[in-house]
Amino acid sequence: MNDMHRSQASPRNRRDFLRGASAATLSALAAGYPHAILAAEEEKLRPTADTVIVLWMGGGMAATETFDPKRHTPYEPGLESNRVLSTFESIDTAVDSIKISKGLKRTAAVMDRGTLIRSYTAGDLGFILHSRHQYHWHTGYAPPQTVAAPHIGSVIARTLGPLNPAVPAFIDIGQRFDLGEGEELKAFHQAGFLGSQYGPFLIPQADEAMASVRPPKGMGPDRFENRYKFYKKLAAQSPIGKFGSDYQKESLVRSLDNAHLLLSSPAAKAFDLSLEPKDSYDRYNTGQFGLGCLLARRLTEVGARFIEVTTEYIPFKNWDTHDNGHTRLTDLKAMIDSPLSQLVLDLESRGLLNRTLIVLASEFSRDMMTEGRPDKQVKDQVEVPNVIQELKYYGMHRHFTDAGCVLLFGGGMKRGYLHGKTADERPCKTIEGRVVIEDLHATIYRAMGISPKLAYEIERRPFYVTRDGLGQPIREVFA
Amino acid sequence: MKRIMKRVVQFIALLLLAVLVGRPRLRAADAEALPPPVDRQVDFHKDILAILANSCAKCHAGGQKKGGLSIDTRESLLTGGESGPVVVAGKSAESRLVALVAGLEPDAVMPAQGPRLSAQQIGLLRAWIDQGLPWEEGFSFKKTASAPLEPRRVSLPPDSAGSAGSNPIDRLLEPYFRSAGFEPGAVVDDRAFLRRASLDLVGLMPSPDEVDQLVRDKAPDKRQQKIHSLLKNDQPYATHWLTFWNDALRNDYRGTGYIDGGRLQITDWLAAALVENMPYDRFVRELINPTPQAAGFIKGIVWRGVVNASQAAPMQAAQNISQVFLGINLKCASCHDSFINDWKLADAYGLAGIFADGPLEMHRCDQPTGQFAPLQFLYPQLGSIDPKAPTAERLKQLSEAITRPENGRLARTIVNRLWARMLGRGLVEPVDEMDNPPWSADLLDYLATDLADHGYDLKHTIELIASSRAYQLPPVDEADDSRHDFVFRGPLVRRISAEQFVDAVADLAGVDYAEAAAKPPALTPSQSTLSQTAAGRAGARAALVNADPLLIALGRSNREQVVTDRPKTATTLQALELTNGTPLSALLEKGARQWAGRKLEPAALVAAIYRAALRRLPSDQERGLALELLGSEPAEDETEVAIEDLLWAIVMLPEYQLIY
Repeated sequence: MNDMHRSQASPRNRRDFLRGASAATLSALAAGYPHAILAAEEEKLRPTADTVIVLWMGGGMAATETFDPKRHTPYEPGLESNRVLSTFESIDTAVDSIKISKGLKRTAAVMDRGTLIRSYTAGDLGFILHSRHQYHWHTGYAPPQTVAAPHIGSVIARTLGPLNPAVPAFIDIGQRFDLGEGEELKAFHQAGFLGSQYGPFLIPQADEAMASVRPPKGMGPDRFENRYKFYKKLAAQSPIGKFGSDYQKESLVRSLDNAHLLLSSPAAKAFDLSLEPKDSYDRYNTGQFGLGCLLARRLTEVGARFIEVTTEYIPFKNWDTHDNGHTRLTDLKAMIDSPLSQLVLDLESRGLLNRTLIVLASEFSRDMMTEGRPDKQVKDQVEVPNVIQELKYYGMHRHFTDAGCVLLFGGGMKRGYLHGKTADERPCKTIEGRVVIEDLHATIYRAMGISPKLAYEIERRPFYVTRDGLGQPIREVFA
Repeated sequence: MKRIMKRVVQFIALLLLAVLVGRPRLRAADAEALPPPVDRQVDFHKDILAILANSCAKCHAGGQKKGGLSIDTRESLLTGGESGPVVVAGKSAESRLVALVAGLEPDAVMPAQGPRLSAQQIGLLRAWIDQGLPWEEGFSFKKTASAPLEPRRVSLPPDSAGSAGSNPIDRLLEPYFRSAGFEPGAVVDDRAFLRRASLDLVGLMPSPDEVDQLVRDKAPDKRQQKIHSLLKNDQPYATHWLTFWNDALRNDYRGTGYIDGGRLQITDWLAAALVENMPYDRFVRELINPTPQAAGFIKGIVWRGVVNASQAAPMQAAQNISQVFLGINLKCASCHDSFINDWKLADAYGLAGIFADGPLEMHRCDQPTGQFAPLQFLYPQLGSIDPKAPTAERLKQLSEAITRPENGRLARTIVNRLWARMLGRGLVEPVDEMDNPPWSADLLDYLATDLADHGYDLKHTIELIASSRAYQLPPVDEADDSRHDFVFRGPLVRRISAEQFVDAVADLAGVDYAEAAAKPPALTPSQSTLSQTAAGRAGARAALVNADPLLIALGRSNREQVVTDRPKTATTLQALELTNGTPLSALLEKGARQWAGRKLEPAALVAAIYRAALRRLPSDQERGLALELLGSEPAEDETEVAIEDLLWAIVMLPEYQLIY
């Protein structure tokens, strides 16, 4: 049933999709401002994916403790910090040439469905600020900027529109904004100059997703329906027509119609995690992130366009391991292992993985010694003793920007493929296949059929979806 | 010296071109070697503009005419250059332009610099020529002519008694309307006028009593008096315009930068300046040469880490003061000589350097050039800046130069913003591009000199506009106000702002929004200045609280950049927030309890709510619908629920949410 719905909405051909889209969607798409400008030489790109799911490891996921393990150095008091590369053993995966860190057993079992990039290089932004690097990852531009740069989800929402008109085109799951660096996080969780209609539909907590799409607290569905009917009747009586303001009036009424369509559509059930069978729910339920992955799967089934699920960035929490790196990584890996692998398997068994691109990424990696990059270290923020006498110092606590891991599943990516290489000895920098944000974005855009040279006009100048239109898709990772 | 070199280069270029003149048309064999035209309808904006802009414009547009060829407009392109026409509409194979970009003339390959065009691009150009060179209407590469700097005194047409009245705006508009063939209708009634004026001047809907009073008032100048008294209401006025200035001056109570000390609020200074109606020239001087309380505007937003040279704090200051006070876009020129106007990299650095504590090396596209621009204001004729003086002294010199009476642009920019705010569209659009032509230069120039003549008193200009017949004309519904051929026919229908909506609903509910939404007001010191709003009104106004999901959904700006215009259209995400968001439902729930507590008979209740919300009584049909919703003999909690739904439906009405 869900599959059928999806295939109907699926834009094999954009024109067919437009024909099927609601009038409201159409007018949103046709709204000429800002204009899209496409460098002329771009041919029509055939998309390999209809949906993107970004799984965001906010706070800096240490590559050597997860998807790029190096020599394991077990803990013992008196250990020299400089000798420690990985605090975990490596394990085999479904792909002979790929080993990953212990604690990711289920993910290891699905590595044959994905592409692993080990050479992602974060922006060189100087003194580290997580939210600034996250801004850069999500928009391709480092703040401040003269115009508000849109989130990649907004660019996709603006360019492609929703896949199913009853599901918001850009859904963001799992980030609250009333914690540390909340303002900086808000600054990129938005559509910027593209206009707020392309901004994220925010679901700060996955287990409360239903609250976002149901009537206000205390209002049953009958009352909600009646209230809306009453409004329609009242609006029909209102004498504003005599002021001749059809355009503005229709825009208001139509927006309410759309909201109502979403709230009363069958797709809204996808937000209700209580409808998920218990055994499946339990496989995902490692906390908010796991449930976010479940929600992402359910939304993908009804035709979501762009979803981001975050482990949530909170300064010094989650992946932002300034201390106890080893202990905390054990828990963090347990948090992602089951939901990540289950998401891949579930989408595959539903026949959706081929058209859904899953991207697991983080703003940068971590290391025990290097802050910034080896050739350009920046001001230290973390105390690291030369010799480790306490377990709390055992782990990757500094911010490392020269090499990090990105996982790609489905959506036209190669299966069981490894891209890029890092040195086996400290500083474990990228030595092959360097990937920067412009190229990673270009890869995602390319999969979605969007040119990296696409630009939108703002204040009479072009704003490119990858910086200066220079992003190059990573050809090797496409199947 | 440089100029001589340039002449020499131009001369050589001309010589080269002369050699090319008279080359024969394409040979048939050559034509076959051309990449084929693409097999589809091309779109000028999407397909062609980028090619022309990237590969041709540098030498053949914006005043550049290498070889006599300008592609500024379709006509100039068709005219061709010194060697004759370069395109033949409908015949790409015979168009010399195609031969040149295809490299068929080895010693005259175009573009002369930069990468060759791809076969795909040539195919697009060919298809475009074959399809008759469709051009976007009104588009020109020619940079906007600069608007004059000096003020211009406009003499008023004679007051032809009985028609336009004596307001100078109307006297100036009379010939305008006549030449546009537009016959303005009668002004709107008192109720509509007061709702409009009250929202525009103090941001609040008028109370039902205020409306009744005005309707009953028999004085011929009663509207004039009402406008005057609204503006004398300092606190509500200041609170309303605080939002406008917070947007423009990028001031917010929370936002990026504060965690690292990279940003400062100017709220207290701003609130005080608005309450005392500080003359605008002094207002500008104090923002450019600030006391610590006003320093946040030129300080900019400084993020931790390395920042692109075009966003260094002094450059932000240069961009922001140019945009806000002069309607000049320096953003392009902060990175390289602008393609869209005449400002050069050196102009941007010359201005930015005034704000910098040390020498500011010019960076072109973020690469250091080793050069330093002489410190000067964009219009050096307004006053020089002493490069040897300390920063504080330079800022003083700059603040004086920019506010000198000879700078007509300062006043034009602000009166245009006020006009746009009150009439829905500027005399010049966009309001940040003051080099664009106004639809009435006389009106713009008059308002500007009039502001200066009245000591830069902004309330004077607001009053003048509100008193005009133009402002009081019936509303005009305009789907696209950016049209080139815009004709002013009256105020445009607008949405009320986030702050106006929230304040109005809070008033209707009789509750304090800050309390209902559990949003503490953002300010402490300014609280005392601004919280004393209209008598009988509870709590802080929305302008003073931190942004929340409701305000954001309704368009409250993210003040990371200068914002001078808010989004105009309703969106689905917005409607979702209005339909099931917590802040609004909390507000309406409390409001329903208040209304239920008044124990009115259902019919009286409906009438009272209509009067409070819409300043009118319900029609019979409306009353019938509302009574049906309220039920005949409901239990008390059911009544509250029904009232809540009635309130919701009313505040969702376009009649409630629009300014008309």
